[in-house]
Amino acid sequence: MSIKKTIWFLGCLFIGLQLPAQENMQMIPAGSYKPFIKGAAEKIAIDAFMLDEYAVTNADFLVFVKANPSWAPDKVKALFADSGYLSHWPEDYLEDKSLETNKEPVVNVSWFAANAYCKWKNKRLPTMHEWEYAALALPKGETDSAALTQINNDWYSRKTPKQAEVGSIYKNQYGISDMYGLVWEWVYDFNSVVSNDDSRNSEDVIAGLFCGSASLNASDASDYVSFIRYSYRGSLKAKYTTRKMGFRCAKSIQ
Amino acid sequence: MKLVIIFSFALLVSFSALAQKDTPAKSCCSPMLATNSPQQETLPETSIYQFDHQWKNQYNQSFQLADITGKPVVMTMMFTHCEYACPMMVNDLKKVEKELTKKHEDVKFVLISFDHLRDTPERLQEYAKTQGLGENWILLHGDAEQIKEISLVLDISYEQMENGAFAHANKKLVLDKDGSIVFSLDGLQTKPKPIVEALNKVL
Repeated sequence: MSIKKTIWFLGCLFIGLQLPAQENMQMIPAGSYKPFIKGAAEKIAIDAFMLDEYAVTNADFLVFVKANPSWAPDKVKALFADSGYLSHWPEDYLEDKSLETNKEPVVNVSWFAANAYCKWKNKRLPTMHEWEYAALALPKGETDSAALTQINNDWYSRKTPKQAEVGSIYKNQYGISDMYGLVWEWVYDFNSVVSNDDSRNSEDVIAGLFCGSASLNASDASDYVSFIRYSYRGSLKAKYTTRKMGFRCAKSIQ
Repeated sequence: MKLVIIFSFALLVSFSALAQKDTPAKSCCSPMLATNSPQQETLPETSIYQFDHQWKNQYNQSFQLADITGKPVVMTMMFTHCEYACPMMVNDLKKVEKELTKKHEDVKFVLISFDHLRDTPERLQEYAKTQGLGENWILLHGDAEQIKEISLVLDISYEQMENGAFAHANKKLVLDKDGSIVFSLDGLQTKPKPIVEALNKVL
C-alpha cells in the first residue's frame, strides 16, 4: 500500500470518527421513568434511542412539501389533515423566500403529516413514553428540578407568546432543545388509552383526568403542566392541526 | 501541499458519505396513499380506503380495504385474546346481522385486529369459526404501523398492556360504499337499531 493511500485512508477514518452518527440528533440513554398518569403505576423501561435536537422548522418542512407534493397545503387529503393545515404559510409559499430560512417550529401540521415527514427522513415519531422520558431531563447545568417547572410555568402563563425560534428556550442534559416552552409536540401513540382496564375507552380516561379522580390517578398531582399535556393529547385526533402543535422525529438504535 | 490535497479529498469523501446518509428516502412517502389503483383514484377525500395497506384476511389472502368499495360496511377493531369487551362487541354486531334482510345482502362486517403478533390469519379463521361468523365477515391481520394508522382514522384509541392485552375504545362504525365513515357508536351491549338505520341510508 502506498503512503498516499495510507494517508488517504487514515484521513477518512479520522474524519469519519469525528462526525456525529446522526446530524442534529442526540442519543437518549436507556433508563426508566414513572409516567404522570398512574395507569401503569410501575416504572416504564425505555430503550436508548435517538431524538432530534430541535423541533422541525418551517424551512425543514418546506423541503419536505416540495419533495412530496401530495403534502402541499392545496393537495393534502381531508382524511389526513383538517383545513388549518399549514394555514400560517403565505399562499405563495413556493415563491416566498422567507420560509426557506425560517427557524420557527412548523405548526398547523397533522399527525399524519408529521409521521410522513419522519418516515421521509428515515426516522419516526417518538412514542409518548420516549418523549416524556427525554423531556424529564433538566436544563444543562441545573441540578434542581425547579428550573424545569419554572420554564413550564413561564410558558403556560405567557399570554399570546410570539412564536420563538427553535433552540431559543433551553437545552437539556441530553443536548435536546426546547422540549418545553416552544410548542406542543406530536407523539406516535398520542391516542393511547391510559388504563389497565381492557374495556375502558378514551372518554373515560379524559373524564378521569378532569374530575376529582385526577388527583388519585396522577403520580404527582402538583404537576399541573403534565396534567394539561396529557389531557390535551387525549383530546386530539390525527388529522387535527393547531397553531401551537409541532413535532420532532426519533430513531431507534439498531 | 500534496498532503493538503489528499486531506481535502478525504474530507470531501466523508462529507459526501454523510450527505448520502441524510438523503431522505425518495420512495417512501406518500406513505400510505395509493395512486396506482384506478379504484382508489375515484374515492372521495374522506374515504378511509385511500390507504394502500396490505392486510391478510382470515383465509390468508391479501386484502386491501378498497377491495370492498361498493359495499356498505360495519367496522370495528378487536383482538381475539380479549376476554371481556371484544366478545361483547362481536355479539353486538351479530345482533345487527340478525336484523338484516334481503336488501342488506351486500353488507360486510370487518373486524381489524390490534394484535399483530398473536392474531395470525389462522388464528382469525379459528376465531371466526368459534364465533360462528359467516361469509359476510372479514377478519383482518396487519402490521403494527398500519393498525396504528387505521385506528387513527377510525378514531379508536388503544394501548398495549404489559400482559399483551390491549386497552381500547369500543367503537363500531358504519362506512358507506366509498369507505367514508357515516356513523359511529361507542359502548358495549348496544342495540342493533341505530346501526341498521345507518346502513339503510347507504345501501
